[in-house]
Amino acid sequence: MTTRNKTLIGFAIAAVVLGLVPNVVDVLNAPGFYLTFMFTMFFWISQASSWNILTGYSGYFSFGQGAWFGIGVYTTGILAAKNGWPFLVALPVAGLVGGAAGLLLGLVVFRLRRLSGEIFALTTLAVSFVLASVARLTSLIDGGRGIFMTGTPLPEFLGDFRTSMYRMTLVIALLTVLTAYLIFESRLGWGLFSIRDDEQVARGLGVPTFRYKMIALGTNAFFGALMGGVWALQIGFITVEDVFNIRVPLLVILMAVLGGMRHWMGPVVGAAIIYTLTDRLNSAGLADLNQVIIGALLIVLVLGVREGIYLRIRARWVASAVIFFGAMAVLTVFDVTSSLIWDFSYALLITMVMLLIPTPLWERLTPRRIAEPPGDPPPELPVPSGKAST
Amino acid sequence: MDVDLLAQAVVSGVLIGGLYAMMSIGLSLSWGALKIINLAHFTFILIGAYLTYQLTTSFGIDPFLMIVIVFPLFFVAGALLQLFFEWAKVDEFRSLLISFGLFIIFTSLVRTVWTADFRRISSEDNPYASASIFVFGVALQVPLIAAFIAAVVIAVGTSLALSRTHFGRAVRAVVQDAEMARAFGIDPRRVAVILSGLATAYSGLAGVFIAMFQVLSPTMTFAWFGIVFSVVILGGLGSPYGALGAGIIVGVVGGVATVVWGPLSAPLVTFLLLIAALLFRPAGLFRRSTA
Repeated sequence: MTTRNKTLIGFAIAAVVLGLVPNVVDVLNAPGFYLTFMFTMFFWISQASSWNILTGYSGYFSFGQGAWFGIGVYTTGILAAKNGWPFLVALPVAGLVGGAAGLLLGLVVFRLRRLSGEIFALTTLAVSFVLASVARLTSLIDGGRGIFMTGTPLPEFLGDFRTSMYRMTLVIALLTVLTAYLIFESRLGWGLFSIRDDEQVARGLGVPTFRYKMIALGTNAFFGALMGGVWALQIGFITVEDVFNIRVPLLVILMAVLGGMRHWMGPVVGAAIIYTLTDRLNSAGLADLNQVIIGALLIVLVLGVREGIYLRIRARWVASAVIFFGAMAVLTVFDVTSSLIWDFSYALLITMVMLLIPTPLWERLTPRRIAEPPGDPPPELPVPSGKAST
Repeated sequence: MDVDLLAQAVVSGVLIGGLYAMMSIGLSLSWGALKIINLAHFTFILIGAYLTYQLTTSFGIDPFLMIVIVFPLFFVAGALLQLFFEWAKVDEFRSLLISFGLFIIFTSLVRTVWTADFRRISSEDNPYASASIFVFGVALQVPLIAAFIAAVVIAVGTSLALSRTHFGRAVRAVVQDAEMARAFGIDPRRVAVILSGLATAYSGLAGVFIAMFQVLSPTMTFAWFGIVFSVVILGGLGSPYGALGAGIIVGVVGGVATVVWGPLSAPLVTFLLLIAALLFRPAGLFRRSTA
C-alpha cells in the first residue's frame, strides 16, 4: 500500500471517529464543554492549515489571515442574519467571497515585478486594516452598529447548537487539512516549495510561479473565509473590533511556526498545542500570564526548534508516544485533575519539555539512535541505471 | 467647505506628522540598516509614554524633563536588545517573529503594571496638554509643536550623522557589505548596537510626547501599526528625511480626510495611500527604486 493511500485511509478513520464524538458525548452524558473545546480546536486547525498553504509552502509571509476570516464572518453575517438566507447557502458564498478577495489581492501584488517578502507581508497587514475601516464606514456591512447572529436558524439535521458547530467545523477542518495534504503531495506543492527556496530559479526551470502563487493565496483565503463564516455563529454579536483584530493572524502564525511550516501536519499539531495551552491558561484565570507565555514560547521556538515540533515528534516518536500516553494514563487513572482536557494539556506540556531538548544533547542521551534512526526512512539514493524520472 | 477648518486640518496634520515621523524613524532605521523588522518598537513607544505618565504623576517631574531621562534609558535598552539579536543570529523573517513575541510580552507587562484603564497625566503635572498657540486663527497645540521640532532635530541630526561622521560612514559600510566593512577595521556589532540604541531612544521619545497630550491605554499600539508602517514604507527604509516627509504626508492626508469625509475615513485613506505606494513606489516616495 502506498503512503498516500495509508494517509487517505487515516483521514477516513479520523473523519468517522471524530464524527461519532457528539453521539458518544450524548450517550455518556458527558459535559458539553468537551464539544466546545474540540470545535474551537477544529477552528484553529483549519485557520492554521489554510494559512500554511500559502506561507508555509510558498514562503510568502502573510499577516492577512484576519482579513479572510473577517470576510467570512461578515458575509454570513450579512446574508444569513440580515437578509435571511439559509445558513448553509450563505456559508459557501462566504468561502467564495473570501477566495475571490484573495485572488484580487494576488492579481495586484503578484504582478509587481519587485515584490519582496516583507512588502507582501505588510500589504496583507494593510488589507485587513482597510477592510476594517470599510466595514466600519459602510452601513451596508456594519456601519459601527454590529450584527446579531444569535437568532440565525440552523438546519434540524445538524442537531443542537453545539453539535451543529461541531459538525460544521469538523467538516471544514478535515477539508482544509485534506487539501493541504493533497497540495503537499502534488506537483503544485513541489512548485510552491521551489518558489519558497528560490523563486528566480523556479521560474527559470519552468514553474508557473504566478499561477501557483495565485492558487495558494486563493485556497488560503477560501478556507479562512469559510471557517470564518461558521465562526460568526460562535461570536454571536459581530463587531469590527472583534473580527478584524490582530488575534487571528497572531495565533495562526504562532501555531504554524510551532508545529512546523514545512509539513502539512505541522500546523495541525501546532494548533492543537497552542489552543490547548491558551484555553487552559484562560480558564485558570491567567489571561495576562497567558500572553507572556505565548510570547516567550514564540521566541524560544523560533530560536530553538527551527524545524517545528511535528518533525521533532517524528524524529523522537517513541519517546513522544511513551511520555504522552504514559502521562495521560497516569493522570486519568489516578484522577489527578478535574477533567480530561486538563489531563490532555498536562500530558502535552510534559511531552513538549522533552521535545525542547536540543538535538545534540538528545543524541548524546540516546546513543542507539546513531545505529538506526527510527523516525524518517533513509533518503533514497539516486540509482545510476539510467532509469527515467518518474 | 470651511476654509478655516481645512487650514486647521492641514496645519495640525503637519504637526502630528512630526510625531508620526518620530514614532517611525526607529523602526525605519532598524529595518533599513540592521535588517531587523523590530515590532518591539511599538512597545518602546508605549513604555516611554507610560514611564512619562508614572514619573510625572508620582514625582511631579516636568514632562519635558522626561526627554533627558528617557533617552539614555532607552538607548541602553535598545543596545541590550541588539546584543540579544546578534547572539541569536536571526534573519529578517525570524526577527519579525521574535520581535512579535517581544511585542506581546511587553504589551501584557504594561497591562499588568498599569492595568487596562485609561491613563492621563493630570493637568497640574502637565500644563502643556491644553496649551495652544494661535497663529492667524489656527490653533497649534504646544506638545505637538514640541514633538514636531524634536522630530526635525532627530531627522536632520541622524541624517547628518549618517552622511558626515565616521560612525555614519561605518553604518553605511556595514549595511552595504558587513564582511568587507570588517576587513576595513569596522566592528559591525558595535555599529549595530549603537544604532539600535539610537533607534530605540527615538521611539521612547515619541512616547514622551504622546503621554503629553493623549490618553494612554495598552491597546493603543494597534492603532499605530498602520500609521507607522505607512510612514516607514512611504519614506523609504532607513531614511530619516523620508520618514519626516512621509509622516507629514500621512498626517496631512489623515487630517484632511477627517474634515472632508469624517474621522472614520482617515485610516482608510491612509492605507489606500500605502497600498498605492507599495505598488508604484516600493522603494519609498522620495527615492527611485534602485537595482
